[in-house]
Amino acid sequence: MRSLIQLTCAVLIGVSAAGLAFAGPAIDWDPIYTWEPGATPYNSPLGGVLQGVGTVSDFDIPFADLDASDPTKEYTIYIYGLVSQGTTISGGGPFTLYTTNYTGGQIEVYEDLSPDASYDPFPPNAGVPADFIDGTLILSGQFTSFTTQTNNFTQYNTGNMEGGINWTGGTLYTRTFNANGRPCPGLFTGGITWYPPVMIPGYIFRHDGKIDLNCPTPTVNGTWGQLKGTYR
Amino acid sequence: MRKSAIGMFLGLLVLFALAPGAASAQTLFFDYVGYDYEAPDLNPAQFGEVGSGYVSLGFVPGLFAPLVANTVANEYTYYISGLTSVSQMTVGSFVITSYSAGSLSVYEDSKSTGTAADYGINPPNATAPPSFIDGNLFVTGTLTNFQYVFNTLSGSGSFEADFEVTGGSEVTNGNIPANRRKGWTFAGTSANELNMPEGYAHQVDGQVFLNEPVPTQTKTWGGLKALYR
Repeated sequence: MRSLIQLTCAVLIGVSAAGLAFAGPAIDWDPIYTWEPGATPYNSPLGGVLQGVGTVSDFDIPFADLDASDPTKEYTIYIYGLVSQGTTISGGGPFTLYTTNYTGGQIEVYEDLSPDASYDPFPPNAGVPADFIDGTLILSGQFTSFTTQTNNFTQYNTGNMEGGINWTGGTLYTRTFNANGRPCPGLFTGGITWYPPVMIPGYIFRHDGKIDLNCPTPTVNGTWGQLKGTYR
Repeated sequence: MRKSAIGMFLGLLVLFALAPGAASAQTLFFDYVGYDYEAPDLNPAQFGEVGSGYVSLGFVPGLFAPLVANTVANEYTYYISGLTSVSQMTVGSFVITSYSAGSLSVYEDSKSTGTAADYGINPPNATAPPSFIDGNLFVTGTLTNFQYVFNTLSGSGSFEADFEVTGGSEVTNGNIPANRRKGWTFAGTSANELNMPEGYAHQVDGQVFLNEPVPTQTKTWGGLKALYR
């Protein structure tokens, strides 16, 4: 019985490893700038609301046919409604790390045929987020988790921002579906910096990140006969 | 007389170069996306243990001025190597690892005649790094003060380092001026991607910035002396 289980595991591993092509990120941006009234890189008061706007720089499967460098279009991202649960502190003194979890929140991706987005200072303003949310909504989803990590010791003020996404809509929503017709969760991830020379007044973080479709590795059902056949 | 005048002139240039308030703007040099692993990996149960080597490789989807790239004809890949963990500290769920100096290189490989980069599994392997470091060495530089911060609770983190261009075809062909070769890099890292190739530790999404050259000003001797009156 044990050998049967071992063989089954080996088969599943073999099936998952073979033929898997590792594509680039489904969506890559460069960058997203975020803002949150009342917050600093080291403290996000409970109840604060984080928002951000960004420009997509690259697409891959399942959006590989979209050309982010097409000058007649722009693809933009808007994240909003992320409610701070307050910042917690690890360590202290010269090695202090700050973690903030957020609840709620949505993400939207737009295709705009009249490129006009710019990271105008001190959002919200006439152009932000307005110029990032015009056009066609191609993808929307809800965050299932969202966390920022910062610290007081990195020379270039760097940390991480990551969250999970449940896709819910948009004209390209069905492209997030797996073979069973269900949307694959999204992994929103990347590094953040608040290093002044790369910041714009009024924003709190610059996020260099991407979205991966986090589908579980598919398995294939088969009979022992079929399996043995593959080795004959 | 001439020697002392030249010396003073150079001194003035330095003086103006170091003058406070000359905030240096930074420009994006290139953007990279890939995965990391350890080689050598002295303790597979631990990441960043002292003595282990850090390696990251992947693709470079964005290259910016002063680089002159042709992303239609070529595949651009990156390779971070030569970094050895020299110290590690744990703060709560965070692990902070510092590394010795290493390098970050970008390679340019023809899409039509070159070999497509392939992560494979359990690196190093037959294709990784070899298929990421073939072709033309486009630009390379040193990484110093490389520091990796990782939250073992969330499975996510970041790294950063100083970067200085030292070579590559973009240097030899004159596209990168001598006064625009210093900068820095940072990246977000995550172990939470379900479909990460087997044997890699984290996915990596990073950028390299170049410092703008520090401006100089032309002044007369009279103008200079007036500053101190």
